[in-house]
Amino acid sequence: MNKDLKHDFLIHIILIILGILTFYPFAFTIITSFKDNFQFIHNFWGITLPLHFSNYTDAWSRISRYILNSGIVTTISAFGVLAVASISAFVFARFNFPGREFLFLCILSLLMIPGILTLVPAFLLVKRLGLLNTYWVLILPYISGGQVFAIFILRSFIASLPEELFEAARVDGATTLKSFFNIAIPLSKPILVTVAIMNVLGTWNDYVWPLVTIPDGRMWTITVGIVSFSSQYGGLEMWGPMFAGYVIASIPLIVLFFFTMRYFIAGLTSGALKV
Amino acid sequence: MVNDNRRSILSEIIRKKECYLLLLPTFLLLLTFNYYPALSAIYHSLFEWDGANFIRFIGLGNFINLLFHDPTIPLSFLNTLRITIASLLINLTFPLLAASLIFHLRNLRYAYFYRVLFVIPMVVPAMVIFMIWRFIYSPTTGLLNQLLRTIGLEHLTRPWLGDFDLALYAVIFVGFPWVAGTSTLIYLAGFQNIPPELLDAVAIDGASTWTRFWKIELPLIMGQIKLIVILTLIGSIQGFVNIMVMTNGGPGEATMVPGLYLYRNAMYYNKMGYACAIGTFLFLIIIVLTYLNLKYLRSGIEYQA
Repeated sequence: MNKDLKHDFLIHIILIILGILTFYPFAFTIITSFKDNFQFIHNFWGITLPLHFSNYTDAWSRISRYILNSGIVTTISAFGVLAVASISAFVFARFNFPGREFLFLCILSLLMIPGILTLVPAFLLVKRLGLLNTYWVLILPYISGGQVFAIFILRSFIASLPEELFEAARVDGATTLKSFFNIAIPLSKPILVTVAIMNVLGTWNDYVWPLVTIPDGRMWTITVGIVSFSSQYGGLEMWGPMFAGYVIASIPLIVLFFFTMRYFIAGLTSGALKV
Repeated sequence: MVNDNRRSILSEIIRKKECYLLLLPTFLLLLTFNYYPALSAIYHSLFEWDGANFIRFIGLGNFINLLFHDPTIPLSFLNTLRITIASLLINLTFPLLAASLIFHLRNLRYAYFYRVLFVIPMVVPAMVIFMIWRFIYSPTTGLLNQLLRTIGLEHLTRPWLGDFDLALYAVIFVGFPWVAGTSTLIYLAGFQNIPPELLDAVAIDGASTWTRFWKIELPLIMGQIKLIVILTLIGSIQGFVNIMVMTNGGPGEATMVPGLYLYRNAMYYNKMGYACAIGTFLFLIIIVLTYLNLKYLRSGIEYQA
């Protein structure tokens, strides 16, 4: 144990320095979020008392709507992706039918297409469909785009389940849908959570698409809202509330993270495989 | 015979109609929101188009304009080149160092602790991080200038994001020291896949840390390195959100990048055809780079192994 500590000592020092540099901006954000302007100007670096919790109520009144919008869009999109992708992945993984390989390749090829290419026509399309300023303008494309990678991951997982299970169900006269709901879904729960979280991360962070398709400020998502909020409060030199807003905007995902840490890390790494 | 075959495929398709029916939602969505826009973008790159009524076929006119007549294009691609090189240097060093350090900790509980620690910032929305850094760089109250004043380097203070020469580098510097990202996790996964017997054998041979890193570990995580190179390339070529919210391409056009320029052409100038041409051009670059990367770096691994 002692020898380990000696071996690890230098590593700890470097990692701690990297950690401090990484976390300092966040620490500064939290400290400043409790300051009024007098404290901000006269004690820029330090922690000051009293803590001004009113900064949080102030920021909350301004950005709660954006968080609600993002929450609705993100939740529905994630469940939508799970619903659409899991059934397709199941079909691709467990059935043989003419054109299976070709159709799967059609889906895979979409991983190569950058979002920036489709931006303009997709925008004109949803405009023509009259979807601007609705939740659907975000949810439908998010489900459509999100399912691609989800099908890719879920298919290989469902394909790795033992065939005997499905065979036995078939002998018992179970329909396709029954073996999907009673066998494939329950056994895929962990991977479904990972896929859902990956989607939540992508949707929650998306900026350009909502910026383009949601001109109405009341329907903004958190990313678009926080930029406008930041410019407004920064312009008014309301530093405390501005930083309180940043903290509030970060809380939903941090909470989700602490409840689903294992799946979250898996989701982050597999999200990276999205080439 | 051929006819027979066709008939049997057809009957097979009818027999399996349930499969196609279940795939229908997936393909209806993809056709509407993915295939159609992608094809439409490539098709409309050949037109002068305001996105509504005015549309005129101009062949490769947009591409000729883009390659030879538009001064913003070379400027924005030069910026992308700078960003790409910087991002590659960053992603191939700092996260690799962090992952390697975490992997070599003997105390596994600490290793787990650091891993989780460096994941937490990834959960903070990217936009919040950009906003915090926008504040860090702001001229009067910004953290960086305050720091310089506090340590007596007042003469170095400047409006970082408003400086023609430094703005791009200021944007690249966001997120320093860049260890809390997906790259670290990917490298770590690579290290954990190295057979422990191999490392034990090297330890018995008494190889130095450096030799071990260059001769054993690096070749064995080539797959992860290749992945990170592709991700970084694709990310820096089409990414522009960070630029958009921090400098919006300014000052002047000092930090303009192709993605942002595409966005401007579409949303501000109503030049939808030209925007589609820029998008198509970026798409082609990404395909070529991905192909080269797969080819070049794959043979690299085989050579090393």
